[in-house]
Amino acid sequence: MDILAGLGQGFAVALQPINLLYCFMGVFIGTLVGVLPGIGPVSAMSLLLPVTLSGTPESGIIMMAGIYYGSMYGGSTTSVLVNIPGEAASVVTCLDGHEMAKQGRAGPALGMAALASFAAGTFAIIALMLVAPALARVAVAFGPPEYFSLMVLGLTILSFLSQGSMAKSLLMAAFGIVLGLIGMDQITAQARLTFDRLELLDGIGLVPVVMGLFGVAEILSNLERELKREVIKARIGGLWPSLADWAASRWAILRGTVLGFFLGILPGGGAVIASFASYALEKKMADDPARFGKGAIEGVAGPEAANNAAAGGAFIPLMTLGIPPNVVMALLLGAFVIHGLQPGPLMMTQNPGLFWGIVASMYIGNAMLLVLNMPLIGMWVQVLKLPYRVLFPLILMFCVVGVFASGNAVFDVFVMVMFGVLGYLMRKFGYEPAPLVLAFVLGPMLENNLRKSLILSHGDFTIFIERPISTACLVLAAAALAAPLMPALARRRAKISAEPT
Amino acid sequence: MTRNSELWGGLFWLAIGAYVIWAGHDMGLGRLNQPGPGFAFYWIGVLMSALSLGVIGQALLSGGPTLSSLWAGTRWGKVMVVIGLLLIYGVGFETIGFIPCTLALLLVLMWFVDPVKWWLAPIIAVVAVLGVWAALTKWLKIQLPAGVLAGIIG
Repeated sequence: MDILAGLGQGFAVALQPINLLYCFMGVFIGTLVGVLPGIGPVSAMSLLLPVTLSGTPESGIIMMAGIYYGSMYGGSTTSVLVNIPGEAASVVTCLDGHEMAKQGRAGPALGMAALASFAAGTFAIIALMLVAPALARVAVAFGPPEYFSLMVLGLTILSFLSQGSMAKSLLMAAFGIVLGLIGMDQITAQARLTFDRLELLDGIGLVPVVMGLFGVAEILSNLERELKREVIKARIGGLWPSLADWAASRWAILRGTVLGFFLGILPGGGAVIASFASYALEKKMADDPARFGKGAIEGVAGPEAANNAAAGGAFIPLMTLGIPPNVVMALLLGAFVIHGLQPGPLMMTQNPGLFWGIVASMYIGNAMLLVLNMPLIGMWVQVLKLPYRVLFPLILMFCVVGVFASGNAVFDVFVMVMFGVLGYLMRKFGYEPAPLVLAFVLGPMLENNLRKSLILSHGDFTIFIERPISTACLVLAAAALAAPLMPALARRRAKISAEPT
Repeated sequence: MTRNSELWGGLFWLAIGAYVIWAGHDMGLGRLNQPGPGFAFYWIGVLMSALSLGVIGQALLSGGPTLSSLWAGTRWGKVMVVIGLLLIYGVGFETIGFIPCTLALLLVLMWFVDPVKWWLAPIIAVVAVLGVWAALTKWLKIQLPAGVLAGIIG
């Protein structure tokens, strides 16, 4: 289908009043969870996964997508005004954004963050529109070995980029696969690790696992330390950046956008890595790197552009290959599956309305976000003043309700509590939850493709190195695994993974 | 050495890895050209055990923080209370019902765990619980247990 015709069909879907409403709800909730520290897009999306059941697949997925890219916008507000990142991708925005706020330039910092996000978000949608159909045509030729190797690469890169010990991250990925495989075997229908519980025959639900590891665990971690939030007292002032600000930021926005988009496509990559990479690049290219960390507007513009472009780029592997490159996309895959849909190379031909509807809704959502983030900044500042002691009981209630509603079973609430405790302990002992969740989602696909490959090759493992795409993925995965053994790469990894994913 | 948290973490995952190996073997490995239901479990268990041994080795060579230092200066009592409350909440959720259970949970959290002004807690709790109940049951048509209020709201 011609791209313009597809886009026309997409706008016809996205402009339906109900889809406009869901898109608005998505970007509004996304901005809200981005603004509020202690709840991120992963928690919010898993919380609202059951809500998507009440509407059409288009409405539900448009809302979920909106939460993701909306949170990228909202995160910058907290970084600039409170010096606490609203969500992980806005960590670097604290460095210069908050410094600008202390100098009385919170307005231009917030304005530039919103405008850079808008520019990058729009670029990412156009690129998604152009790249996805081409990649989908290539992906049709993918067989089980390619899919298996690609998933191995994704998990390895995510472990490589995770904070702390790579062995621990890989351990979490392996444990995630085990959890993902619990339930009935797809081939022999044998119950596996179900401990004679009927509730486990269909496997452990994604929502209780994610809500436990990210929602409850975050609350428990925040509760044990006093969270202090000091909203900046200085006047926010006009939001529109000056000509000098634009001159300083234009190339940073461009570089951040392109870099972020490609890092977003990468399996295991995402908005967090993109924002860090952009900040490092801008600092390296600056005439006076000493300005960074002291209120350089490029330090806000580049990373904010990068994290939004990465959010758009991350849709490509999911939409074209059916493989989520990060945890957020894994949740979006969950939303597709709930509606009986399988994203992948055939989605564009079998469900063009859905694919192009999502793309078109992202244009609309980006415009909505600009409106939400520029004139309504005062409202978000008020939201920021809500004390955590009021917020956390409400978040906890939403977690319980969301988990119960996802499967209509109290068993899931206990599963959530168990994963909440596990997630809390994992943070204490320095184990990352992100590889676990991605592996949990990829586990069944990984095993299925491994077994299919071995059946196809009559038990010959060389099938994985006889095919060029599979070989390339495995070579890259091996390089990432070997990296800690090479001192220069290990140092580089330590630098990249200095902040949580 | 015995108080090294890294060592205990590694030992925990080693035990899990060993169990996964045993479970995979028990399910049946099959043959390479026809892998059985335990094939993936078995090899992932092996991988987990190997990685755990790596973590243990690192802990023995380089040491690590002590278990008590992980909780030093934290409000860990509040964490334990919240976990306990959630478990009690789960037990009573279906029989007592969403509205009374959740009201009680929010009030305990806001009065005792991390207190807000005493008069503010009931206002927030009632508005939040009734709002969520109405949104879910009336708008989204998601059933929540009515419990003891079945005769009134059921």
